[in-house]
Amino acid sequence: MEKQVLRFKVNGDEYEVFIHPKTLLAEVIRDHLGFTGTKRGCETVSCGACTVNINGFSVKSCSVLAIQCQDMEVTTVEGLEKNGKLSPIQRAFLDNGSYQCGFCTPGMLMSATAFISEAKNPTKEQMKESIEGNVCRCTGYNSIVRAIEAVTQGKYKEE
Amino acid sequence: MSHAKYSVINTHVHNIDGVAKVTGRATYTFDVKLPGMLYGKILRSPHPHAKIINIDTTRAMELPGVKIVVTGKDTLGIKQGIWRRYEELCDEQVLPLEKVRYIGEPVAAVAAVTEEIAEAALDLIDVEWEVLPAVYEPLEAIKKEAPTIHEGVERNVNVTRHIEWGDVDEAFEDADYIREDWFKCSGQAHMCMETRAAVSSFTPEGKLTVWASTQSAYYTQGLLAGVLGLREGDVRVLAPYVGGGFGGKFELDAAMFCSAVMSMKLFKPVKVVFSREEDFIASKRRTPMFYYVRTGIKKDGTFCARESRMFSNGGAYTGMGATALYLSGFFHSFPYKWRGYRYDGYRVYTNTLPSTSMRGFGAPQAMFCSEQQIDWICADLGLDPFEVRRKNGHTEGYEVPGQAFIASCGLEQCINEIEKWVKSKGKLPANRGIGISSCGFMSGGIFNWFDSPYSFSSAVVTINVDGTVELHVGCQDIGQGSNTTMAIIAAETLGVKVEDIRVHSGDTAHCPADLGAWGSRQTLMAGNAVKMACEDAKKQLLEFAYAEMGINIVYDLDIKDRWVHIVARPERGLPYGDLVKKALRAKDGQRIMGRGYYTPHRKGMISPAYSYMMQAVDAEVDPETGKIKIHEVMTAHDCGQPINQLGLVGQLEGAASMALGYAYLEDMPFEDGKMMNPNLVDYKVIKAPEMPEAGIIEIDTYEPEGPYGAKEAGEGLTNPTAAALGNAIYNAMGIQMKELPITPERVLKALREKKEAQK
Amino acid sequence: MINDFHYLKPASLKEALAMYAQYDDCKVICGGQSLLIVMRQGMVAPEYLLDIKHVKELSYIKFDDKDGLRIGATTTHREIEKSDVIAKKYPVLVAMEEKLASIQTRNWGTIGGNLAHADPAGDPGPVLIALNAEIKFGSSSGEKTVPLDEFFVDYFETKMEHGDLVLEVHVPAPEPKFGCAYQKFNLLDSDMGIVAAAASVTLNADGTCKDARVVLGNAGPVPLRVTKAEDLLKGKKLDDALFAEAGQIASEEAQPVADIHASEEHRRHVLGVLTKRMLKKAFEQAQKA
Repeated sequence: MEKQVLRFKVNGDEYEVFIHPKTLLAEVIRDHLGFTGTKRGCETVSCGACTVNINGFSVKSCSVLAIQCQDMEVTTVEGLEKNGKLSPIQRAFLDNGSYQCGFCTPGMLMSATAFISEAKNPTKEQMKESIEGNVCRCTGYNSIVRAIEAVTQGKYKEE
Repeated sequence: MSHAKYSVINTHVHNIDGVAKVTGRATYTFDVKLPGMLYGKILRSPHPHAKIINIDTTRAMELPGVKIVVTGKDTLGIKQGIWRRYEELCDEQVLPLEKVRYIGEPVAAVAAVTEEIAEAALDLIDVEWEVLPAVYEPLEAIKKEAPTIHEGVERNVNVTRHIEWGDVDEAFEDADYIREDWFKCSGQAHMCMETRAAVSSFTPEGKLTVWASTQSAYYTQGLLAGVLGLREGDVRVLAPYVGGGFGGKFELDAAMFCSAVMSMKLFKPVKVVFSREEDFIASKRRTPMFYYVRTGIKKDGTFCARESRMFSNGGAYTGMGATALYLSGFFHSFPYKWRGYRYDGYRVYTNTLPSTSMRGFGAPQAMFCSEQQIDWICADLGLDPFEVRRKNGHTEGYEVPGQAFIASCGLEQCINEIEKWVKSKGKLPANRGIGISSCGFMSGGIFNWFDSPYSFSSAVVTINVDGTVELHVGCQDIGQGSNTTMAIIAAETLGVKVEDIRVHSGDTAHCPADLGAWGSRQTLMAGNAVKMACEDAKKQLLEFAYAEMGINIVYDLDIKDRWVHIVARPERGLPYGDLVKKALRAKDGQRIMGRGYYTPHRKGMISPAYSYMMQAVDAEVDPETGKIKIHEVMTAHDCGQPINQLGLVGQLEGAASMALGYAYLEDMPFEDGKMMNPNLVDYKVIKAPEMPEAGIIEIDTYEPEGPYGAKEAGEGLTNPTAAALGNAIYNAMGIQMKELPITPERVLKALREKKEAQK
Repeated sequence: MINDFHYLKPASLKEALAMYAQYDDCKVICGGQSLLIVMRQGMVAPEYLLDIKHVKELSYIKFDDKDGLRIGATTTHREIEKSDVIAKKYPVLVAMEEKLASIQTRNWGTIGGNLAHADPAGDPGPVLIALNAEIKFGSSSGEKTVPLDEFFVDYFETKMEHGDLVLEVHVPAPEPKFGCAYQKFNLLDSDMGIVAAAASVTLNADGTCKDARVVLGNAGPVPLRVTKAEDLLKGKKLDDALFAEAGQIASEEAQPVADIHASEEHRRHVLGVLTKRMLKKAFEQAQKA
């Protein structure tokens, strides 16, 4: 029940927080560190709005105890952009209108980012499956899939 | 009308909030954190119908960290409703004093230093109940012996609506064939990604500031002021980014009310965010409807008459349900010409979650019944469903008797395009079929049940010395992209670029009043206000240009792409930026300011303009399991002049996903008044793998009442889908689906019944 | 709301087993994809939480032509899904993993955690039983290996006792003429099955059925083997009529429970259909093998 120190990296920077072990990663990211880009939309690990990447793998940060991320590297939506340059998938989202209300967008981007980094000539079905853990109530997903497709086809380069 | 003349309209324009949204910078009410902020939680009724005998908050107050516990007794007890003009429809105390009427209704609220403590305190509030008999279905609640849900409301009938034109009985007599059917349409959760959320901050000078996830900052302001006993001007509502609305976020909700009540007592900011479960059980829903439909038709396919009776499950309170009752009945006639039409709608109170408006506003239910029955009639009589729809469809210049005037209508082209598309598909494999459905929708409502003294939409535009433009609008961006649409209209009108426009919205302190985002009203109404404001500003600019350029006054001047020029000789002119600087000097340093407003006048009973569409759904049924696979959706769509290209595609695809969900996945089953699936595991919204390609064919029309010829797009696209899927299944399997959602089990049951009937 | 607990983070398997033996009111977390949901609902509230996510000794995939496949308990679903050797030798496992929840869940959730959770609607159980897998678990006082179809005892209950950790799943090397297929029936691709069926078929050289397995998911308190259907097929030359009959038996033997997603009747019916289809699919694979 005693609080513990969690040391880990978020978006490339070292952080040290003092937390109850029961604290979820989503809570540390949003409430302790203030990265409110990461959203939360359910209590059942269903919606994917809280998706972040841990060591490059997408996870739902509401389903991970923060303390399990000791010494790991977490990337949130705030970490996609480098010195004001948007990442390829962020630019593809703009071009394809892959968001509307924007609440699911950070999670979608993190799922898409992890997928793109490992996908080799993915099929459309794989692209759809890459975001099946993320709910979007606005777009109907197709514009998001088009953005992923454009990036995997090499239409966007890192700037 | 040619589209080529526009520089900005219908071009590829990024959403102006896009960068904020893809970088995580966009701050929603959910993200707002103020110094000293407390966290509120709401205690909810476990009973569908019960008297509150006593609420003892002593134990909760004793919990360390708890700052306040409030119940109805701590409020003014004002009954409110968004139909503010009609006292009898203001029937909801957000924290009720005497009794609760549905499971999940707020009973008390706690504010504490952490959300966890607030939640723990809920368990320490002791409520003494007297449980009352409850009723859950409208056809039960309307019976004489049913329990009374609201005192003095006979048979629990909340609102009725009668619509009639022509001599209905005579028209039926002329019919060669009459068919009647009963349908059952389910509810649907808005399921906005951002649950209901509000942060209220009341300060000693008597001013209240509320961040709210709302579709209308102005309605929220008015409703809050009403229940809190404040002047509207002392309530400032901020809605910077809103995580979805879909018709569920323009009434007063418990997050807004409870946070405000507690903040006013504590003089501290209080934040209340609904959990997903609370959002499901206590944030209202699409109205479930029972429809009886009787239609008379001639052998040659000419429609004679239709008569419908509808009983809707209103749930515990009125809210926007009264409007849904009317619109469902009106759009049930759409998009056809009936010699006689009669609709009687009954909205019945029950002890369930209140129902309200949701994308389509009663029309998806109405179309599910109407458009399927038309296909069945065609099959009964051996008629072609395309031909019958063409023959009876609305046309430009048609007047829906006593209700509406149709100034623009691309229905026939929509039907032609979809017919071509369907035929191009050729013969389909077994168990697969394409179904069609046509419909229309409004571009904003003409009604003023809110009793707003303001214009329906307003805009103010000011031009800075560097040529950048501040556009203040009251319309609300809830993700549908209205800020971008308004920026496009402003840029086109002023002759500048989208990046020159900064849109200010979602703040009642700085933006003009506007009814907000509902009923597909903003592109037409707020768009007209923006266009008028920009024309006003541009006229002032051009006055200086005439003087500056010293040209013959017979020449017309215009601005396009930041170039002020003579229309007849576009090379002669001056840069817009130079003109702005000069104009400012000429005005004694006053910025150019334009004002615009719009309120519909002499446009009938419903709406100033109507969109039209036909949709086809290509679906396959697994005959052994009943599982449905959607292969493709194609829509031909007349929204007048498209304004926001990317936004339009997004609206179409989004509507298809939500409407498909309504058609075959989403359901809100209740048992003894308790919703059985209030979570995203058991409530099924469509996900990426289920989403089919959803193409769009834009039909070119021009709506004289709309800005640049535009009318509604996005909401109406929710209307045809359930019916089109039903028709696809009918064409594939020969079964008639009369109940939503179309589940595998219902499909198998219908297949079994068909088999038995054939024996 | 998750309760407060003491967090135990062992550095090795040995230490993990020792800690687990030491604390009575202790739950094990690995990926926690199932556990944290029930903890959030307050249904599970242990005093101690033992985190074995980082016990690297248990994270491995090994294959040997004779011995077959061995998967360590803390191997993630995603590692199984992405394994080349599993794709080649046990494609049904990859196909099953691809439809198990979402990528995020598969990235963090583990095979050991899934099996220990013993949800009868879980995907790996029926498939692994159809593959004739066994499971190794153990405590500080010793290890035990049992066939996986004996491992599950009841809803969310296994043969493991307090102090036991799942250590390894072992799948025998596939026989020459072998096929295995799995399908769940659901409304959304990523959902757990409303019901599910796994089937495997091994053929003799003469084409007759040497062995068959039928395992139903979410059709009772545990993954349900339908031995009556299996016995029907063994030794026979298989055809559609037999698959249909086996499906009929599966439908009768199942013990599904109705909820809002489907009635009992519908579940039984679909289980019959899936059994028939999966047997046919497994048979066709075995023929081609």
